Amino acid sequence: MPPASDGATLTTLGVVGVVVLLLVFYGGTMWMSVAISRRKENADSYMTAGNKIGFGISAASMTATWIWASSMYASASAGYTYGISGPIHYGLWGALMILFIYPFGKRIRSVAPRAHTLAEVMYARHGRSSQLMLAGSNVLGSVISLTSNFIAGGALIAILSPLPFGAGILIVAAGVLLYTLWSGFRASVLTDFAQVMAMLGACVVIIPAVFFAAGGPAMFEAGVAAGNVTAEQQDFFSSEAFMKQGAPYIAAVLAYAIGNQTIAQRLFAVREDLIKPTFVTATIGYGGSVIGIGMLGVMALYLGITPMDGDVNNLIPQIVAEYLPLAVVALAFLMIIGSLSSTADSDLSALSSIVMADIYGQSKGRGNADPKTMLLIGRITMIVATAAALYFATAKFNILDLLVFVGALWGCLVFPVIASFYWKKVTNAAFTVSVLAALAVFLPVRFGWFPVDGLWGIVVEALCVIGVGVVLGIMAFGFFGPTAGKVVGIAASVAMCFVAFGFLRDYLELSGALVAYAVSFLVCYLMSFRSTQEFDFDRIKQVTGDFDDRDLAATADEKQTAAAR
Amino acid sequence: MTVALTVYVLMWPVIVFGVLAVIAGNFFKEMREARRQGRPMI
Repeated sequence: MPPASDGATLTTLGVVGVVVLLLVFYGGTMWMSVAISRRKENADSYMTAGNKIGFGISAASMTATWIWASSMYASASAGYTYGISGPIHYGLWGALMILFIYPFGKRIRSVAPRAHTLAEVMYARHGRSSQLMLAGSNVLGSVISLTSNFIAGGALIAILSPLPFGAGILIVAAGVLLYTLWSGFRASVLTDFAQVMAMLGACVVIIPAVFFAAGGPAMFEAGVAAGNVTAEQQDFFSSEAFMKQGAPYIAAVLAYAIGNQTIAQRLFAVREDLIKPTFVTATIGYGGSVIGIGMLGVMALYLGITPMDGDVNNLIPQIVAEYLPLAVVALAFLMIIGSLSSTADSDLSALSSIVMADIYGQSKGRGNADPKTMLLIGRITMIVATAAALYFATAKFNILDLLVFVGALWGCLVFPVIASFYWKKVTNAAFTVSVLAALAVFLPVRFGWFPVDGLWGIVVEALCVIGVGVVLGIMAFGFFGPTAGKVVGIAASVAMCFVAFGFLRDYLELSGALVAYAVSFLVCYLMSFRSTQEFDFDRIKQVTGDFDDRDLAATADEKQTAAAR
Repeated sequence: MTVALTVYVLMWPVIVFGVLAVIAGNFFKEMREARRQGRPMI
């Protein structure tokens, strides 16, 4: 097959096609949102849907939220850059992180069954400074994620139609805001079902369709014969793919999964006995679809396709538009719009919950917060967040740097947050100082402020050795308990001593993430182990809980409405 | 090698189809239950 190097031969949807598809998509989600709307929305339901959603909706929502447009683009990019193992080193680790956090999720839910945000739980556990650290990182993270999804939507619309980028981001922002504004989290999770059906359905069709349209199995031999693929790219166990893509990503996504309010919100919303099946299904759904979409990048590599405008983010729309008929291009368009909209509505819900519960609710106190004011604040937050994300998207801010910063902040938080749910001795001071100290060491390492050599190089690599032990120890601890966690952590660090020194300094992205884990662990542990504090975890249940007690009247009203429908 | 790569590329849509079926099946089951009990699904 001839390589495509420009947009001249691409199938585009045209203005009418794009507008019709967007009207169908956002019209459909708006219809779903209106169908569940209540005249008097409940403030707690607006944040967590009453803490009892079923498996079908929760699994769909967790899958849809974890898959954002960037994960599809990044997986395809990994396949194109690192070859056949690239999508595994993006999608598999991202998927496994959902699995790895579910034991912690169960623990968090058991100590705070009716909480709304993780920051709110930290307030109950430690106090204001810990809560604000988590809430602040989440506000920043969600605004960045929102911006990134708007940019992806605008770019997609600009590629597949004559509409400009600015019009694209405005349409996407307005569409997402409209269907999320009134019912909040309830609208977000219900529409996630439709969006995940569109996304996963499109994956099922598009991957084999491109494969056979592009030549089928013969493309692999032809690609190798044409010299499109290096030996490293053909190696399933490529060390380059692991060190540059997989390893930094393992450390980063563990932090994202623990620190991100969009995941925590679903954890508090799902019925408690359905946490495990929800997380397991989302793991398989995320892994299958994101790795599968990464195969488009692998095929592009074998076919010798040059990314349009030199941007690997164009690969998915480019390869689909190059080889598939208009109807399937429309399906791919809906797949990407579905992925970015589902994450964007989750970000809006997460932001509104943080402002409602952590800023307004906890400052007033649970008995004194007015539910109507709370809802108004939540809705205003969504409008302001959308405006801010639109500004960042048009101002061409370097969101990648901001994303690295938020990822690091969450990396610094992982150990103190998890330890706070199991270890009674962790104090507010230990939590706060350990996070700030880890951030202070992360920044110079990640951004290479000083050359990583000499004594500084040895210190950084020694911290990386500890960091590997912390990451693997946390994972083992979640599934198998404290003894297994300690054994795995110590064994991993000992094994790393033989390979880390003189080696890891070349991988600043990975080293930055590992030092964040190591420093937060060391400071938090050293400041806590002599502490005399014996925290009573039952206290968290008393501090966190419902803000809105207007449920009884609403339930009777709902039953009548549902029966009528 | 070609066969292995073909299986490697095409196994993902099959896995995704399985997840799609599980999620959709449970969603509609929960919707029917909610209707039968006269309560909203969410």
